[in-house]
Amino acid sequence: MSDAAKAPGAIMKQNLWTSNPIFMQVLGICSALAVTNLLSNTMIMTIGVVFVTAMSSLTVSLLKSLIPRKVRMVVQTLIIAFYVIIVDIVLRAYLPEISRNLGPYVGLIITNCIIMGRAEAFAQSNGPVLSFWDGMTSGMGYMGVLLTIALVRELLGFGSLFGFQVLPAGFEPWIIMVMPPSAFFLIGLIVWIGKTIMHRQGEPVLEGE
Amino acid sequence: MNKQSLPYTVVFSFIVCFVFVFLLSLTHQATSELVQLNQELRQQRAVLRALAVDFETDDQIRALFADIEAVEYDDMTLYRVQRGGETLYARIFAGSGVWGTINGVLGVDREVTRTVGLEIIDHNETPGLGGRIDEPWFKQQFTDKPLLDGRLEVVREGGTEGQDGKVDAVTGATGTSRSMQTILNRELERLQSVLGGEA
Repeated sequence: MSDAAKAPGAIMKQNLWTSNPIFMQVLGICSALAVTNLLSNTMIMTIGVVFVTAMSSLTVSLLKSLIPRKVRMVVQTLIIAFYVIIVDIVLRAYLPEISRNLGPYVGLIITNCIIMGRAEAFAQSNGPVLSFWDGMTSGMGYMGVLLTIALVRELLGFGSLFGFQVLPAGFEPWIIMVMPPSAFFLIGLIVWIGKTIMHRQGEPVLEGE
Repeated sequence: MNKQSLPYTVVFSFIVCFVFVFLLSLTHQATSELVQLNQELRQQRAVLRALAVDFETDDQIRALFADIEAVEYDDMTLYRVQRGGETLYARIFAGSGVWGTINGVLGVDREVTRTVGLEIIDHNETPGLGGRIDEPWFKQQFTDKPLLDGRLEVVREGGTEGQDGKVDAVTGATGTSRSMQTILNRELERLQSVLGGEA
């Protein structure tokens, strides 16, 4: 993707919409399938991702001139792992219930390609403040899509939103919505809708890059 | 200084690793006590629920748990509490569910003629399907449920309220319901073998 647009507003638009990590770059799909059946879990998980992408981009950017090329990616992974473990420890200590519900997925934030992608593609060649902003908005692009999927899945799968029952008691939950495959269909729909809107607006759409 | 040289790379990598790992250890150290407490509290809460002891705050859990005796029978630890002239027992169990281990606590009366309560500590069942064994409606079925010939049956058709030894299964989760039946009956047998002998 182009990193030519360096204005904060342009970066935000790119990360939230025109090159959204999930529906344009198709990154971070694993967690999009796994942790989107309850909104509250998705919320905490994606806040974790926003924090980790923002902080690791900031740190990579601060250290970039000191990092030898040979160990560049190793150091990036170390930095990402550091922040993920911090998130995990904090959840374990202060939000034990949510930590249990998320299970191994917090640790798996380390493998989320969005974070490494931003560190490599942006933080490596930009200043700390802009990198922080880029990481944060990328995380938010991910968050937006995941929350949308979780909204549909929790509503139809449990009849509730954030654990509050919103649909009448007679509502028959859709079991498929609780299972991971439903997220596949929803992501497909979101990619479709997103690309269609972009074509209508005449935006240049990334095709099979 | 040449930043691409081998000595620089080695020294840099060492320092970076050292600093980050040091910071992590500090954080871990600072919260480990809290994490430990959370785990203990979780287990105590489950034991109290299985013995149908009412509580509201975390402090109450600690206070109430202090009144519960942990007694050893053979190689089993049972939690014992006196209530209304009765002695009730609970045991922490572990058994295999559909995807992983189901850990929980089952409470029974002295003669193992009824279950007093059931609480799930953790499980890996499918959320929304087997995972519903952790929902109140499922667990409440075990509150003062008389047994039939010392056994429990998880019934798929439902409508078991008021029937001895029968509880409703979770719709769409045959595997988990069957696992629960196996786990609980094995648990009841164990409890009968240690408690029944002294009746």
